[in-house]
Amino acid sequence: MAFNATLEMNGSDAKITLSGELDAAVAEQFKATVEEAATHNPTNLVLFVNNLGFMASAGLRVLVFAKQKMGQRVSIYVIGAHGPVLNTLQVSGFHQAVYLQDSYPV
Amino acid sequence: MNMQALAVPAQLDQLAAIRRYVQTAGQDAGLDDEAVYNLALAVDELATNIILHGYQEHGLTGEICVRTVSADGGLAVILEDNGVAFDSGARALPGAEELSKPLEERRIGGLGIYLAMSSVDDFQYQRVGEINRNTLTMRRRRTNDET
Repeated sequence: MAFNATLEMNGSDAKITLSGELDAAVAEQFKATVEEAATHNPTNLVLFVNNLGFMASAGLRVLVFAKQKMGQRVSIYVIGAHGPVLNTLQVSGFHQAVYLQDSYPV
Repeated sequence: MNMQALAVPAQLDQLAAIRRYVQTAGQDAGLDDEAVYNLALAVDELATNIILHGYQEHGLTGEICVRTVSADGGLAVILEDNGVAFDSGARALPGAEELSKPLEERRIGGLGIYLAMSSVDDFQYQRVGEINRNTLTMRRRRTNDET
């Protein structure tokens, strides 16, 4: 399934909806969306991943990039992670570094 | 029955085709959904490293050949390329301390190989002449009916 990343600004929330398969071939598309979000100086970066069917480490590296680009003032939320994508976040320790939630706002 | 080998250009836009090949082989071999995903993830990560670090960083072009064989109660996926010699298994993997750091302090490198090694039951690397051969093995899990 083709990868897609769409950005929606809602006040201080930068909401990015991801779908499809996130591998190294398309990670630049995700990174570009994060860079666009950063130009709005958001307080929260909220990633909706319910429809993300695959995520390689290239996707994790964009999360690291996002935090390093936006700084500590930005909190990262990952919404709707389940199955193997959730497992990848847990195995790599990212579940301790982002807010994992079923919905946003809670 | 083993599937016919897949040979693709060593380019990132071929990763999806490689995953599809591994997923089909894994399902045919009777692996469960979780094992199929994890095997495809591990192969994807190694193929990414081959493309980026074995070929592109050195200005090289070439192919990745993927084939599968029944092995050890499961399936082995064999990746072969003729990029520069690179043993992913010899790389230092991030430890528990690194994995628990906040994102702003995380190192970017090493995550892919860590995920690959964490996802399969066995990994072997061989340099055979001018060829890198990476073999990733996933065993079938026993169901309650088989115990």
